[in-house]
Formats: sequence, structure tokens, C-alpha cells
Amino acid sequence: MNEEANELARTTGHRLEELEKGLFTSDLSVNEFLLIKEAGYHPLGFVMGSSIYHTGIQTRRWGQSQELTKLTEAMYNARELAMTRMEDEAAQLGADGVVGVRLDVNYYEWGKDAAEFIAVGTAVKAEDGVSRLNKLGKPFTSDLSGQDFWTLLQTGYAPQGLVMGTCVYHIAHRGLGQTLQTTAQNVELPNFTQALYEARELAMTRMQDEATQLGASGIVGVRLEEKTHQWGSHTIEFLSLGTAVTKTSDEITLAKPITIISLDN
Amino acid sequence: MSSSNDLTGADHPAGQATFSSGLSVADFAACLDMGLEPVGLVQGFCAMRSQPGVSMMGMTPYQPSANDYVENYHCPHGFVSAEHRMWGQNYQQTWIEQTWRQGFTNAYSRMVAEATALGAHGIVGVFDNVNPLVQDGIVEFTMRGTAVHLRGHTSSSTPWTTYLAGQRLAKSIEAGFAPVNVVAAVSSVRVWASCITEYLMEGSTTMMYGVSNDSIEVEQIVSARAAARELVRQYVRAQLQGGQRHGVELRMREHAFGHGDLEIQPMLRGNRVRRFKDFDALDAPRLTVSLS
Amino acid sequence: MSDAPVPRGQIDLKTEVRRALVSLEHPSAGGSAITSDLSIDEELNLHAVGWQPVELVTGVSVFSVPSGLWNWGQGEITGATRAHENAFNHAIMRLQRDAAQAGAHGVVGVHVERSVHPSHVEVSLLGTAIRPIDAKAAAPEHVFTSDLSARDFALLTLAGWEPLGLAHGASFVYAPRRQMSMVFAQQTQNVELTNFTNAIYAARETAMERMQTTALSLKGTGVVQVNVIEGPMSFASHAIGFVSWGTVVRLVHDEHHRVSPQLVLSMNDRTITFAATTLQ
Repeated sequence: MNEEANELARTTGHRLEELEKGLFTSDLSVNEFLLIKEAGYHPLGFVMGSSIYHTGIQTRRWGQSQELTKLTEAMYNARELAMTRMEDEAAQLGADGVVGVRLDVNYYEWGKDAAEFIAVGTAVKAEDGVSRLNKLGKPFTSDLSGQDFWTLLQTGYAPQGLVMGTCVYHIAHRGLGQTLQTTAQNVELPNFTQALYEARELAMTRMQDEATQLGASGIVGVRLEEKTHQWGSHTIEFLSLGTAVTKTSDEITLAKPITIISLDN
Repeated sequence: MSSSNDLTGADHPAGQATFSSGLSVADFAACLDMGLEPVGLVQGFCAMRSQPGVSMMGMTPYQPSANDYVENYHCPHGFVSAEHRMWGQNYQQTWIEQTWRQGFTNAYSRMVAEATALGAHGIVGVFDNVNPLVQDGIVEFTMRGTAVHLRGHTSSSTPWTTYLAGQRLAKSIEAGFAPVNVVAAVSSVRVWASCITEYLMEGSTTMMYGVSNDSIEVEQIVSARAAARELVRQYVRAQLQGGQRHGVELRMREHAFGHGDLEIQPMLRGNRVRRFKDFDALDAPRLTVSLS
Repeated sequence: MSDAPVPRGQIDLKTEVRRALVSLEHPSAGGSAITSDLSIDEELNLHAVGWQPVELVTGVSVFSVPSGLWNWGQGEITGATRAHENAFNHAIMRLQRDAAQAGAHGVVGVHVERSVHPSHVEVSLLGTAIRPIDAKAAAPEHVFTSDLSARDFALLTLAGWEPLGLAHGASFVYAPRRQMSMVFAQQTQNVELTNFTNAIYAARETAMERMQTTALSLKGTGVVQVNVIEGPMSFASHAIGFVSWGTVVRLVHDEHHRVSPQLVLSMNDRTITFAATTLQ
């Protein structure tokens, strides 16, 4: 699998060569660009990885709320492939890490049950020459904006990698109609609630496992997204994302902020 | 926006009677900060009959007046068929521009007259709207704003006007600009597609007509758009009379009648201002990191 | 929208307002007509680094697309790519010319509007031409264009960088076809579709590479604020377009100047405090 991923990264033609020669590209805003420099890093280039994945049909028992493990695997693998290819491009540039990582999903009409998973970001390198590769020997990844990246480094913590956990959950169909008819208003639906609770827990636990693998002390910027993709409203993917961090120094150099009240609408 | 047409009780300068205004709370606070007291909501209306465009069903091109924009295109193909256009033209629709100019000016002066009647010194937060009422080709012009009064100031001039309100107006004044009046203009250019333009925009194969099947620039439309924008800029520049224009907005409106047959109508508006002091020595902009 | 603090208490606002309005009573001395679509903040930022706005400038271009182009095919749709590149280039040239005629050295805040239709591609650019205060005119080829805001331009200038121009690249491709038998074989499997992946990958790469080529030809060191737009055509879902553009920049004197940031905490929304020790 990894060999194939490398193959693909190498077919990127001249784009990466030009970046290696010193031209940098980035989708960072000017604000973020200058903050990255302030943090002691230089942008190397826009890196990306993508994978078009066919998500197979999974049989399910409609009457039971359960995780659809095949779909979970598919979503996870597809994103992993995209991320790995992006990391490989970054490694090829000699990067220490990738900031501003964005994970997107594209649907194309001509591909039923197929979607493109894309990971993009800006590869950066520390200007002091000290390696910042993570515990697995790969460039760190993070979905922190340039602003958050700078702020994080001021607190004495450093990013190790974008960690994610996912869980595709099917919420039981049958009986729902009757349930809605018989229950009064403003009443919790315990089955539903339980299902949602479990799904989120699974996603977050898996994310935390990834952070442990990186030897991280914590996760910042945790985000939980719920998507139905193309499966209809009873199948939901819970995606949990965050940036795993470790402490690098005891110093906290965060200056006192000024407060403003914006009167512009 | 808490707008209402109620101007009762606004005979006296603000502070005594009730007033109504379209200002948001933040803008209202900023006004008071500047020493400007809202006096009332003022409006002006005008409905104009919009004349239809020149009918192009005839076979001859439009004859413009001397200084108007016009560009003629001739068919290089010789006779092809009855539907093949022998000529094409870009021309300025001055009657539409005049209708617009008059409607806007009427609505504007009526709004200013209301402000003068209230004893106001200026109008802030001007909002204008042009509404074509399709039936019978009627166009409705609406302008409104909040009339304000500067306490202790007497003036015999017509009230000044500005699209700005609140903090943005305050910053403009702090930067050394005094508001004079709003400026706006519209230009109208009609494109009657030449045979080449029509075929290019339709996507027909033009190989047989000796035009390459490669991608080429649709020069007629590009010309028309450039001309329309240049005209509207000239109109506004003429209204500035040496002053400066700030906070402008260019809005393009285009209507397509067919492949390549277009009506291009850009509208440009802004605030005419006058410098009353030099820029203060300023701090360089700071890189900011937002923590919220 | 501004994130610069209002200097309350430094200027007596009421006095300034009074002064401004009183000055209107007297006839104006006249001056050069300057027009701009910048906000006051942006103009102040420009002024702080020694530049001023001159005029609102535009550049437009429309290029036809040969007919039948969007039908099924294989590989790159070169006609569409060429049309897009030409339209963008011509629009930039016109923008430069417009700016040069107004006596400007560059254009900032360019709004890029591009659209692809079955029969043509259009690009429309609108921005504010600027020049160093009281400078003489420049030749059109030397006028830089950029979609950076005036504020970003000022920040970059302070850091020792200069914008060189807009770089862009496009690539339009046909989605690869699939054999029906393969469709059924993949019904129950989770599997990557390598043909598709390669094709999409290659197209995206090509678009970005073309943008980089433009950047190199302008002798730039980098491209910032890159926009990447991708997706199928609304009128032909089997045709996919990838477009990227950004502003090319270069260090003026080989040295980046550090610009120390100022932290701001907006009080508009509820306050979010950040405890560094617990990371919450």
C-alpha cells in the first residue's frame, strides 16, 4: 500500500521539483505567512494528496442501531491514503511539518458510491535547522491555522500530527415512525440518544489512540463533524479531528492581548 | 433597521422631540460620539418612464449622436443566408442613461429637501434603490437616509450626504476627509452581435466561414464591457470636480437577449469627499493574532 | 471589517467632526481627483508605507471555446484550458494597461471573477490601482497585479517583500470512463479507484504546475494566498476543471524583516480564555 502511495507521489511531475528548487507556494493568507515566519518556520510549498475511493455497500439490519464497520474502514482508509500521500510530498521537499491541513470530500456525479478524499496543506521547515519530525519519523501535520500555530508554539507546546477517528453509524429505521407517533412532544428519544453517544465515543476514542501512538501529551482544536455523505439520513459518519501536541519547553511567552470591541458591522 | 416614515415631532432640533432613524444601534452610538444628533428619516422618490431600446428588427444600424460611443462591425463573409447578420454594433444608450440620471437626481433632491425642512446639516447612511417595474416600463428610484444635526452649528449650505454611517464615517473624518455628497452614475451599452460574435457565443462551428476553430477572443463583447466601464467612470469623475471619491462600489448588470446580444449597465457609486487636513503621522499596520 | 483598534481618546472626535463640517462652508481649493474602492483603514495602511490609491481599474476578457469540445473524450480538454489561460492573461494585460494609464505602479485588492460556459470562458478583474506617493508613471508591463488586500500589501512591504503579479494555471479534463463489468465487481468492496485517482491527481498537479511556471517567469520566490477551485462543469458533469491562482512575491533585499504580532481579543462574542497548562 505504501509503495503504491509513493508511486503516485512520484508521478507529480515537475511541480515538486520546482518547489524543491526554492519556489514556495502556499494557500496561507499573508497574515498566516508572516506568523509562520515569526514562529521560525519557512513555507516550502503547497502539498496535497488525494484518493478516489469506492465505498462498498454494506449489508445492515435496519431494525438495529449499529456501527457499519465496513464503511468506517472505507472512510478511514481513504483519508489515510490522502494524508499519507500529502505527507510523502512534504517529506520529498524536506519539510519538518505541514500546517493548515484541510480534509475535503468531493463527490462526482459519474462515480456512484465513490468519492474523492483530498488532504491539502502547506509544508514548512524550521529555519534553525533542528529537525521537528514526529515520533514516527514523519513530518508533523496539523490543521491549525497560521495564527493558532504561532500561538501554540508560544505556549511551549509543539504539534505532532493531525489525529482522527471515525465511526459510521446506522440509526435504526424500524419503529421510528411509530415512536414518533406515540411519544409526546419535548421528550428525549433514548434509543437515538444512546446511538449517537456510542458513535461519538467510538470516534473520539480512536482519535485518542492515534495521539497515544504519537506519544502526545494532549490534543488541541478537537472538532467533531457529522456527515451523511450520500447515504441518506439514517447513516451518519462521526469524524473526530484534532492536533496532537507535546510539551517542548516550560516557557510561556504569550503577551497580554488588547481587547477591542468592533463597531463595524 | 427600525425605519418608519414618522417625522412628526421632528420640527425641533433633536434632543426635544422624538426622531426616527434607520441607523443600527452601533451606528447610532457612533453618531452621538461625533456630536451628530439624528433628526429624522428622510426619503425621496421618483418614478420614471423608461423608454424602450431602439428596435433592431430594422436592417440599418443605429445612428448615434456625435460624441457617443459606437463601434461598427461588418460581416466579412459575403452572402451566406437570410439569417446571417450583415453587420454588428456596440452603441451607447444615452436615453437610458439620461432617464437614470434624472430619476436619481430627482429622488436625491427630494430627500435633501426633506432634510433641509428639518433644519438638518447632513444625511448619513444613505441607501438608494432602483427598482424596475417591468409592466409598462416604469423604473422607481428610492433614496433614504438619516438626517443629522450638528449642535451649535449654523449653516446655510445644502445638507451634505454620505453613504457611510457610524464608525466608518468617523474613521473617514479622522483620516481628514469631510463628506460632501454621494455620487453615482450609470452607463448603458447595447451589443448587437456581429455574425462572428453570434457564432462564437453560440458555439457553432465556424470552420466553414473561414474562422479558425481555435479559441479566439470575442472582441466585440470585450470592447463593449470596457467602454461601459470607462463611461461610468468618466461620469462619476465629472461629478467630483476636484474632490476625491471613496468607498466606491461597482455593480455590473447585464442582460442577455440572445447569443452575444447584450445590454451592459454598470453602476458606480461612492462618496465624494474633501480633504480638510493632512493625514496624521500614522503607526504602521500591525500583524494581529486574534485569540477568539 | 477592521481588526485595528479605534484610537479612542487620542483624537477628540467631536472637534474633528466640527472642523470637517465647517470646512465645507468654504469653497474648495480643488485637487487631483482620486478614486478608490478601498476602505479608510486600507487607505491608511497604504499611506503608512508610503503608497496611495489612484483609481478603480478593470480588465475583462472573453474567449470562445470551440464547439463540441465538451463531448466525451479522453485526457485533457486542451481547448478549454487554452481559452481559460488566454482569457486570464488578456484580462490581466488590460488591467495593467488601465492602471498604467492612470499613472499607477500596481493594483491591489483584485476581485477575480471567472466563469466557464459551453461556448466561452470569461475572466473579469476589478481592483484599486496604487502608486508610491507622488511617483511618476510606470510602463504597463511593470505594473504588478495582486489579489492581496491593501492591508496585506502594507504588511508584506514592511516585512521586506514585494508582489510581482498574479500567477494562474488551469487544467480541464474528461473524467475517465469505467467498464460496466468493473462496476459490478467493485460493488461490495472498499477499494481505491486508481484510474480515477491518477487522472484527477494529474489534472490538479498540472494546473498548479502551470501556475508555478508563471511565478517563475515573473522571477518570484513564492506564491501566497493560493486559491484552488475544482469541480465538474455545471453543463457537462463528465468534464472537470482545476484552476489555481495566487500572488507572486519576492524578497526585495534578501532579508525578511520580522514583524512582531499584536494579540487582540475581540469582545464581541463571549470571551474564550485559553489556559496554556490544561490546553482548554
